[in-house]
Amino acid sequence: MPRLRCLFPCLLVCLITGCAQRFEAPGIGDQEDPALSGNGRILASVVERGGRRFVRLVERSSGRELPLRGLRRHTPHRSPSLSWTGRYLALIRQRGQYREVVLLDRLHGRLRPIPLPGDRVPERLSLAPDGQRLALQVLRQGQLDVELFRLPGLEADLPAGAPLP
Amino acid sequence: MRTAALALLLILLSGCEALRPQPEMGINPRIAARGDQRSPSLARNGLVWIAPAPSGSGQLQVRWFDLKRGMGAPLPGLNRPDARPISVSSDARGQRIALVRSVEGRTELLLYERTLMTLRPLRLVPPGVPARVALSADGRSLAVQVSRQGRWQVEVLQLP
Repeated sequence: MPRLRCLFPCLLVCLITGCAQRFEAPGIGDQEDPALSGNGRILASVVERGGRRFVRLVERSSGRELPLRGLRRHTPHRSPSLSWTGRYLALIRQRGQYREVVLLDRLHGRLRPIPLPGDRVPERLSLAPDGQRLALQVLRQGQLDVELFRLPGLEADLPAGAPLP
Repeated sequence: MRTAALALLLILLSGCEALRPQPEMGINPRIAARGDQRSPSLARNGLVWIAPAPSGSGQLQVRWFDLKRGMGAPLPGLNRPDARPISVSSDARGQRIALVRSVEGRTELLLYERTLMTLRPLRLVPPGVPARVALSADGRSLAVQVSRQGRWQVEVLQLP
């Protein structure tokens, strides 16, 4: 009965504010830098595991962790961003002394680097829902700038039922 | 055999073929500012981000740029002179903007509706200090990075 008495206010709070969903797993420490696919089905975050920071994808409905091939090396990862269906995952990774932006096409298992012109150091990014544009926060000559880039040659990722471009 | 090896080589090479990003020459000079700019988030036809106020006061503001019209647009009721925005995220239509900001030593999590020009606080249960937000493109889910008892957690709120 005391347990029920505690449960009721909790449920009431959930109904009013909406319940938060968390995806903990054994061996995972800090979780940072969240991103959602356009339809909210997939959650990306950077998790600390065994002293390294990797991007982790979780299907929210099942809590299942989705496999990510080709992204085990070159950590830490930063600032993941997903397209509408989660087909594209863009992120920043550390490659030796350099930070590079990469885009993973999960449909074809293809990882492609996105080399930035000039002396830009990527800090944060945001991929457009259709994957056709990338917004970047870059460090350049001691200042943080926000810049937009087009990603030509990339097939658009659209929500199901959307009109063709 | 030689053809197969060549095909394999081509596949391997194409697998790591770089994507050549093209700077948006018509937009980048228009969003450039003196001072640090942070936290970009792309909508289908817009960009929301944190930039210094044009007044030169050193104050930071959340700003919106309409990519179709090629110009900025105001966000009435969103910015407060005594608040420091920390993280911002937009849905695909640019209607909902999620925001973390610090005001008088408090860190707040808020949701702004652009058409309605309303700003409402979102509660974290159990309480925690929000740091980064990411709204889904459909605007129905919000992922938040929260600090609780010295640990960073990520949680997803379902929005009505």
